[in-house]
Amino acid sequence: MTSVASVGSGDSDNAESRAAAWVIRSSEGPLTAEDQQALDAWLASDTRNLGAWVKAQAAWLDVDRLVALDTGTANEPVRVTKPLPWRKMAIAASVLFAVGVGFVAEDQLPGRIETARGEVRRVALDDGSTMFLNGDTLLQVRFSSGQRRIVLRRGEASFKVAHDAARPFVVEAGNVSARAVGTDFTVGKATDGDIAVTVAEGRVKVTDAERGAPRQLVLDRDEQFVAATIGPRRARLDPREVQRQQAWRSGQLVFRGQMLASAAAEVNRHATKPVVINDSSLGRAEFMGVFRVGDSRAFANAAAAAFNGEVSETPDAFVLARRQNSPSH
Amino acid sequence: MDHQARLLWFAREVLPHEGDVRHWLAGRIRGLTSCELDEVIQEAYARIWTVDVERIVSGRAYLFVTARHIVGEHVRRSRIVSIELVADFESLNIVDDEIGAFRRLSGQQELARLHAAIATLPPKCRQAFQLKKFEELSQREIAGRMGISESTVEKHLAKALRLLMEAMKAPQTGAEDDERGKRRFWGFG
Repeated sequence: MTSVASVGSGDSDNAESRAAAWVIRSSEGPLTAEDQQALDAWLASDTRNLGAWVKAQAAWLDVDRLVALDTGTANEPVRVTKPLPWRKMAIAASVLFAVGVGFVAEDQLPGRIETARGEVRRVALDDGSTMFLNGDTLLQVRFSSGQRRIVLRRGEASFKVAHDAARPFVVEAGNVSARAVGTDFTVGKATDGDIAVTVAEGRVKVTDAERGAPRQLVLDRDEQFVAATIGPRRARLDPREVQRQQAWRSGQLVFRGQMLASAAAEVNRHATKPVVINDSSLGRAEFMGVFRVGDSRAFANAAAAAFNGEVSETPDAFVLARRQNSPSH
Repeated sequence: MDHQARLLWFAREVLPHEGDVRHWLAGRIRGLTSCELDEVIQEAYARIWTVDVERIVSGRAYLFVTARHIVGEHVRRSRIVSIELVADFESLNIVDDEIGAFRRLSGQQELARLHAAIATLPPKCRQAFQLKKFEELSQREIAGRMGISESTVEKHLAKALRLLMEAMKAPQTGAEDDERGKRRFWGFG
């Protein structure tokens, strides 16, 4: 590969173009030792280079936040430009790829979407539906002419489905599949294997193929079905509970009297630094509060303040414990 | 905050103000070239990056004050300074509307700004950028799709990023509808 110096000096050799070249070079994976050394030397040679580098990194990263807001309407589909004749074969294959979105057979679709911890992403699907991916979620979008199919591999996602009777919208998670025509519902796959389908609006037909005996049921608004490892259950939820469970879509986590331990588990799913509770009675305390997704520090501090505890920050966690000599609740 | 969180903070709290702070400096310091402005902004960014950003209440005010400080240092360091420059620099100490007047763009406005900037990119550069950011392909995949080498993809992406950085130098439009029209005193209003 060419050196970054030459990449950056292509048209105008200023700090910003060098910085941009470095950011692109390091965005694809760790730099080689040689590149790293060159970058360090460049940054050390002038503080303004550091400033340009910070700007370039922040700008590059911020694009992702904006792209997540994109519903796809303002954005023209990416077109593959006219191939050079001697590259015909390679291009023929890639044209197939590019037109695949939405109406060609499933394995050509590029629809694998993954979120990191702490990231909530909104994705507009080309049928007009919208989905929100919670943190640490992996799913695949497989649309064909007869069916809109989503396979949830991990995590939790919520769907606002555009009405299209001819093409049912089906979300599969393990043995459970949830089928909707036009509605708003959430499917979550917990780490312990439980799969929950929660309906916020409309009606969803759920099939649970567990143990060979398929079970079908229809969920209405504010109903939840959980295919739990200890056996399936169905419950009608308070509408506020449904809202609470979906607050992450707007970047918030809301707790209204959940046990602190389960609240912490929800916070940790989004946080880069988890909250650890070193006291089981503290973990059972009921907790209320509203937090920004990912803000495990604020959560730990609020919980400590609420229950007369204290937070100690280690390199990998916020450890929450009762204050010594405090009366137990 | 870790590195990434600091960058996101920077992108949200500092970068949106670059256009305004440039406009503010250029409007008050006569004869300031665009190149010198670049240097002031880069220096300011480097300084903001090295402080504990969690203690900064307003990224906008901090950026304005840091930029003023850097211009001041330059004025003091120079052996020969024109009377005009000193007078111009004094004008930066006058508290005015410009520091306070800011309305954050909505996500959709920001997105429209991004799309407008993307639309000005040269075709291949735009295509590589869209494949990278909107379709989340790797540089290798983009190279395969466009039928070009990976190092050319890297060049296209670097150019796209540089041009987006260039676009940030203009004050944000869209946020100015009511705020700029009304005269406000001392930022209360």
